[in-house]
Amino acid sequence: MSERKKPSKEQRPNVIGASARPMYDKSTFVSTIKDEIPNSLLLKSLKKDYKEGEVMLREKEINDKLYIILEGYVAQVKQDEDSGTQIGLHGPGDFIGLLSFQTGEPVFTTAKASTHVSGLCFDHHSFEVFMNEYPQISKILQGLIFSNLADRYRKVVMLHVEVANLSRQLEEERNHLKQTIKELERTRNALISQEKMATLGELTAGLAHEINNPASALLRSVEYLSENLPAMAENASALPDTGLVRFFFETGFKREFADTTVQRQRMKELNASYPELSRSMLRTMAEMEPGVFEKLTSFIGSSKNQPLLQLLIDAYQSGVFLNSIKLSTARIEYLVKSLKSYSRQGGKDPEVSDVRQGIMETLQIIGNRLKDIKVETEMEEACPVNCFVGELNQVWTNIIINACDAMDDKGKLVVSCKPDKESSRVIITIADTGPGVPDKIKQKIFDSSFTTKTAGGDFGLGIGLAITKNVIEKHHGTIEVKDHPQTGALFIITLPLAS
Amino acid sequence: MSDIYIICVEDEPQVLDVIIRDLAVFEEIFPIELAHSADEARELIKEIKQEGHKIGLALCDHIMPGDKGIDLMIEMQKDPFTEKTRKVLVTGQAGLEDTIEAVNNAKLNRYIAKPWNPRELVEVVKEELTQYVIQEEKELLRFTSLLDQEKIQEAIRTKGYV
Repeated sequence: MSERKKPSKEQRPNVIGASARPMYDKSTFVSTIKDEIPNSLLLKSLKKDYKEGEVMLREKEINDKLYIILEGYVAQVKQDEDSGTQIGLHGPGDFIGLLSFQTGEPVFTTAKASTHVSGLCFDHHSFEVFMNEYPQISKILQGLIFSNLADRYRKVVMLHVEVANLSRQLEEERNHLKQTIKELERTRNALISQEKMATLGELTAGLAHEINNPASALLRSVEYLSENLPAMAENASALPDTGLVRFFFETGFKREFADTTVQRQRMKELNASYPELSRSMLRTMAEMEPGVFEKLTSFIGSSKNQPLLQLLIDAYQSGVFLNSIKLSTARIEYLVKSLKSYSRQGGKDPEVSDVRQGIMETLQIIGNRLKDIKVETEMEEACPVNCFVGELNQVWTNIIINACDAMDDKGKLVVSCKPDKESSRVIITIADTGPGVPDKIKQKIFDSSFTTKTAGGDFGLGIGLAITKNVIEKHHGTIEVKDHPQTGALFIITLPLAS
Repeated sequence: MSDIYIICVEDEPQVLDVIIRDLAVFEEIFPIELAHSADEARELIKEIKQEGHKIGLALCDHIMPGDKGIDLMIEMQKDPFTEKTRKVLVTGQAGLEDTIEAVNNAKLNRYIAKPWNPRELVEVVKEELTQYVIQEEKELLRFTSLLDQEKIQEAIRTKGYV
């Protein structure tokens, strides 16, 4: 607050003693003294003038002067550590230095002329003389001094009350703020978990497909095996060479799926040669290599050998189904393992993990979105980082799903990940062949609630990339988006390399 | 005499294996053909057409590399050769939007969720083929052993010929 501020009407109520009672009316007192000055050598010698800004009393110094203001205003300033706080303004009829003059204690507040000031300046001696020479005025003076002190006391009490009020208000304000912060936190968490649920929904839908396929194959294969095996066991003894069952079983187990057009052609040829055989038998035979089929030919044609032909084909089929069980189980196991590791919620402490593993798991989990997307990975060297695996996986998911959305699920995705020994960082780049990110929104895409997806869209709230950035920053990493040299968007992420 | 084919379109070999196995009972009359993708299916349909046969039923997965199952079904619906073919979606996952599109634009007849129950699958195929032959075939008697006997006899009576 400026100490030089000219007194204004608003500041007047601050003038100490303004509420003095009429008998000690300050203006009467001042005019009485002013009238007296021309007639009194003593008063004339006591009268002093101060220029605006002049310091009359300095805080902490010893004072032996008492001032009575006759004209102008004096500011009372309390020095803080580096600035002064004006705590009052004194006008005509007020005293300056009253306490230090009377008690001999160091000056409590600095007094500075706020305007041109003229007043009487007493020392102890002249004050004594004045009291004796002007008993009438002295009486008023004493009354004024008393009223001044009473005023100060009242003011202190009022200040106490005011401080108590302020503290209460502050406390209320603080509680209110606390409440607001809590609510904001709740909202933020709700938004984040909504976004997470959206991602989860996307993942679950994908997983349903990924798991239902092997699950179907598994269930049906097991059922057919349980039908085939008992019959095979019964009939096997009729074969001249029981090693044949094993041979066809193993061949079936190793079968590789041929192109359906080739397969169909072969089936037609077989049908022409063996019109008496059922289509399902022909289909199975069409899968066999010529060398394998050779071993069947001796059983074709005679009705006596028909059950044996069926047995060998069943043996082959059983191998196929058992292999299918093996593949399906492995696939489900891999999916579940990926999912577990993908969603791993680390403890409080980060762990050292290879970024490449998290990226591969993510690609696996959202595989259903990538069926029409050519995925290329360039990840030759290990990229250990100190991280929360689950959170980083959320990052890869967000960016890759965004890329899929941008490409409308058709195009090419190139993910590279390599350590940069020089800067001790892992550099991950994810490039798509979508339309890219326009320059004017490049900065904005990491803001929460920024989305190019229309309202009521099927995925997310548009805070996915904001969360992504959050997670990256938590890992002391950086993320930026650039234009791919050819086409599409290029996300570049760096993370500190773990030693 | 021209044959009535069942075609199965599914990108997972293991799943295709078991579907054929489940439908083996129909092969007595209805030959089954396979395709691993919509593109292969187009080739297959062309071939069947060239050989002078018909397609009575298409069982189709939805999520496959290349064109989706529903895209293929919409195409089949537009082609006079496959317009009357009964269309069944067999899928582990198709969103609501996809399904609505299939019902509206591909005149999808049935939806079977993976993993399926084999008895239900056989039942659905039987019903759909029954519908197909009643609509498209004159000579119905030969189907009574394999398809819905009651409905076929009923149709024979209403149509007034054997």
